Amino acid sequence: MSETNLEKDKRKIKSEKKMRDIMTTYYIDAKTARQNNKKVAWITSGGPVEPLIAMDIIPVYPENHGAMIGASKMGVDLCEKAETMGYSNDLCSYARSDISCATVNGGPIGGLPEPDMLVCCNNICGTVLKWYEVQARYFNVPLFIFDTPFCHTEYTKEAKRYVERQINEYILFLENICGRKMDQDHMKEVGKISFEGQKLWQEVLDTAINKPSPLTAFDAFFHLALIVTLRGTQQTIDYYQGLLAEMKERVRAGIGAIPQEKYRLLWDNLPIWYRMKWLSQKFAEHNACLVADTYTSAWCGSMKYIDESKFLDSMAEAYSRIYLNIGVDEMAKMVIEMIDKYDVDGFVLHSNRSCKPYSFGQLDIQRVVEKERGIPCLMIEADMVDERSFSESQISTRIDAFMEIIKERKISSRVRETES
Amino acid sequence: MRTAGIDIGSITAKAAIVEDGGILGTKIIFTGYNAEAAGVKVYQDLLSESGLDTSSIAKIVSTGYGRNSVKFADKTFTEIMAHAAGAYLLNPKIRTIIDIGGQDSKAIALDEHGKVRNFVMNDKCAAGTGRFLEVMARALEVNLDEFGAMSLQSKLPSKISSLCTVFAESEVISLIARGEKRPDIIAGIHESIAARVSSMIARVGVAEPVMITGGVARNAGVVDALERKLGVKIAVSSYAQVNGAIGAAVLAATL
Amino acid sequence: MDTIAECRKIVDQPYSYLQKLKEKSGKRMVGYVCSYTPEEIIMAAGAHPFRLFGTKQNIHLADSHLQSYCCSVVRGILEEGLSRRIDFLDGMIFPHSCDSIQRLSDIWRMNIPFGFHLDLVLPVKLNTLSAQDYMIDVLKKFSTDIGRTLQVEVTDNALRKAITTTNAIRQSIKDIYDLRSQHPRLMPGSDLYTLVRASMIMDREPLVDLLSETLSELKAKAGEEKADASLKRIILAGGICNHPDIYPMIEDAGGAVVWDDFCTGARYFTELVQEGADPIARIAGRLINRVVCPAKHTDLDGRAKHIVRLVKEENARGVIFLLFKFCDPHAFDYPDIKKYMDEAGIPVLLLEIDDPLPAEGQLKTRFEAFLEMV
Repeated sequence: MSETNLEKDKRKIKSEKKMRDIMTTYYIDAKTARQNNKKVAWITSGGPVEPLIAMDIIPVYPENHGAMIGASKMGVDLCEKAETMGYSNDLCSYARSDISCATVNGGPIGGLPEPDMLVCCNNICGTVLKWYEVQARYFNVPLFIFDTPFCHTEYTKEAKRYVERQINEYILFLENICGRKMDQDHMKEVGKISFEGQKLWQEVLDTAINKPSPLTAFDAFFHLALIVTLRGTQQTIDYYQGLLAEMKERVRAGIGAIPQEKYRLLWDNLPIWYRMKWLSQKFAEHNACLVADTYTSAWCGSMKYIDESKFLDSMAEAYSRIYLNIGVDEMAKMVIEMIDKYDVDGFVLHSNRSCKPYSFGQLDIQRVVEKERGIPCLMIEADMVDERSFSESQISTRIDAFMEIIKERKISSRVRETES
Repeated sequence: MRTAGIDIGSITAKAAIVEDGGILGTKIIFTGYNAEAAGVKVYQDLLSESGLDTSSIAKIVSTGYGRNSVKFADKTFTEIMAHAAGAYLLNPKIRTIIDIGGQDSKAIALDEHGKVRNFVMNDKCAAGTGRFLEVMARALEVNLDEFGAMSLQSKLPSKISSLCTVFAESEVISLIARGEKRPDIIAGIHESIAARVSSMIARVGVAEPVMITGGVARNAGVVDALERKLGVKIAVSSYAQVNGAIGAAVLAATL
Repeated sequence: MDTIAECRKIVDQPYSYLQKLKEKSGKRMVGYVCSYTPEEIIMAAGAHPFRLFGTKQNIHLADSHLQSYCCSVVRGILEEGLSRRIDFLDGMIFPHSCDSIQRLSDIWRMNIPFGFHLDLVLPVKLNTLSAQDYMIDVLKKFSTDIGRTLQVEVTDNALRKAITTTNAIRQSIKDIYDLRSQHPRLMPGSDLYTLVRASMIMDREPLVDLLSETLSELKAKAGEEKADASLKRIILAGGICNHPDIYPMIEDAGGAVVWDDFCTGARYFTELVQEGADPIARIAGRLINRVVCPAKHTDLDGRAKHIVRLVKEENARGVIFLLFKFCDPHAFDYPDIKKYMDEAGIPVLLLEIDDPLPAEGQLKTRFEAFLEMV
């Protein structure tokens, strides 16, 4: 069934344009930092950005750049280049693309601005440690490693002591490079704004509880950019307030993200950046909406550990207990919570070659979901940026088969309901 | 109601006509490079061989890799649903279906109502498919049809450890050079394919009764190796190769 | 040599050896997966530490838990657990090493019902005071945890005694390596492999005697050995190596492996535990000072410098890197290490390996070609 252009237009999320403008300005600022006497820090997506904002350092995210490289379909070329440099093609495609991109200033924005410092927090994976070591050697700039010990089943007091001490080391590191002390009051402000931003992002994601959902996970992947990159800035709050208002309006007017939402699904793992439109359309053709995902909720998932009034102190626990730094059974519990919260009919797991911490354990999480909620699960084997690992006809068949099962179940359960 | 199913695979195209749960006829031809033409031909051939007219066919469902090229079908379903429906027709108690085709393999788990509960597909790697056996048959200069019988003569299967079809072929050639007997090598090849497929099957869980379909089901050696690896009895569908088309015809009756 | 034959039996059938050891000594069998494991603490708790390296069988059960892009070492270790081949195990220790081991720990904990399970979340950073303090804190916690689990008290005395034993083992193996480097023909590489591997499985007290006996025998033989200048001296580098077969392949091609930088080789015995008051702090000190594993961070070029130094000290002609497929930390290090080697004029060969090894012919050809080159 095809929509009229008018209907399609109504369904389009208006805030998108604003996001594009903000991100363009952000990257221009980053690339002209030196002219404005500002410093640039490259930081990992799970790293504590608030102190950077408080020190007026521009944070740049090679992973966000990696997503852009994937979305512009430039991943294959850059990954091939990394392989000629000697990097195995089994390594993370974000890392491969970034390492090669830096040497040729490739990618969709002509390369990232050179860093004055590197901040690497390993709460998301061990790959970033190696990636940032490579870049530290390449750019010959100071590297700060924020080591957040893995929380298999608990956040130990030993880890707490270690991480809290590193927060102080981190601030000293920044102060040394900038040649000035951090303004503690400003830092408190930034902490409050960061928390506010995370709250707003959670509220935006929560609008997907409504039926029909006003946004899909694919929309969330797009609108995620600000809470990742500029968390702690007023701009982030303004933007998400606007987005939330738009979502609430859509809910009020009954405007769903897809024309006919009959089936609701949960997505796990990073997006397949170069096939978002194709995937979105493929599921929409089946009247299925990916209403929520485990990836975007990671940037508001630590709120329960943050004490607004003591942001710097509680940062230690908040950054140590993110979704990827906890045990597989803990992750499974959170998946079940999301299945219930968003009332989904099925679970789609992207088995992402590039991300071992996210992908290893999925087979067990899938079993837990099947056992405890009995909903169909689909595993899609691909990669987030390297399109050579994506096989369209095969994934298409699997999605079709998965949706056939979901449809059958809905019909059967309706039949059983009317019979009982 | 009389219905038809068309299953367009990458190597062979199959058709089946089913009426009130009975199989009236089946047909297999090579697909060639024109899937649409193959769909038309296999259907027409089956009709004429069965002495039937297309006007007596109420609904048609297409399935398989080339399902979207069967323009005269009323609806398409994936091979998962189709294989499930085909196996269910032959045995309504069936709970697990293993399909090993020329170019892919899959495992389908059904619930107690005969509905598909879960499935897993291996479509990335030739080592768990019929292609693996074809490559080996060429290397051994043995007719693929003789594989099953020959392997059952073996007392001690050779060990083949390569995960990759191409490298396993090199391994087989070295085994021949070392003087290992053909039945033992073939038995080893069957162990290998069974190991690959049973890993995949374990992901959906094995619930009895189990049925195997697809071209490779005709190979008694592979079935035997699978039975031992999984520790269950496996029924071989007598309509192994055309199971998908039969299932498609069954699904057509639900439209 | 009798001692090597004894080691070979243990290495070929480790589980039957361990089962017998358990029956005979009553000691608890504690498995571990990484060379950063503080064996001394396990020993001081009255238990026997032994290392798991993967599996020699085909991997099948592990496929239901770990995707194919996981290294075969990790998948193999899980396979051993799931297959119940090691259900004599009393417990498993999972030190933090790489992302794959990290998830292996969770998956093991969720699926394997026998034995206790302890995580040892060591720091990834090793070069700051806070990291070093954390290392000590974590080892102290481990000592308490394993004591409580095994219902024993891990005393300082017991730790000191264990350190004496492990230091003796490390020194002996180093002395054997040194001797062999001076006289490569003294002992085939595969025998050295067997000896070192057995050292990670065997009862540690008898091991001390076995090693010193081996050393004496080798010293006696060494007197009769003539130096062979035609031998091409090679260093092997990588992580885990489960393949003794590579040594005869290299030796047949005119090479001699005179040292290595393997996790399951030199990195196991490198650095002694130093003197000091607090035994746990001493153990921590060794882990911090030993040659770094790529999954951890000390500095930006320490490992590269170490390998260059090794080449110079051992008068080697080249380095062969044997890297496991899907081993990320090593694969990330490699290009920059190669640059270092190139600048130092040291020839390098990279081979991607797996369990099981690729076809013999393929490897042999590569070794031969490299040795012709150097």
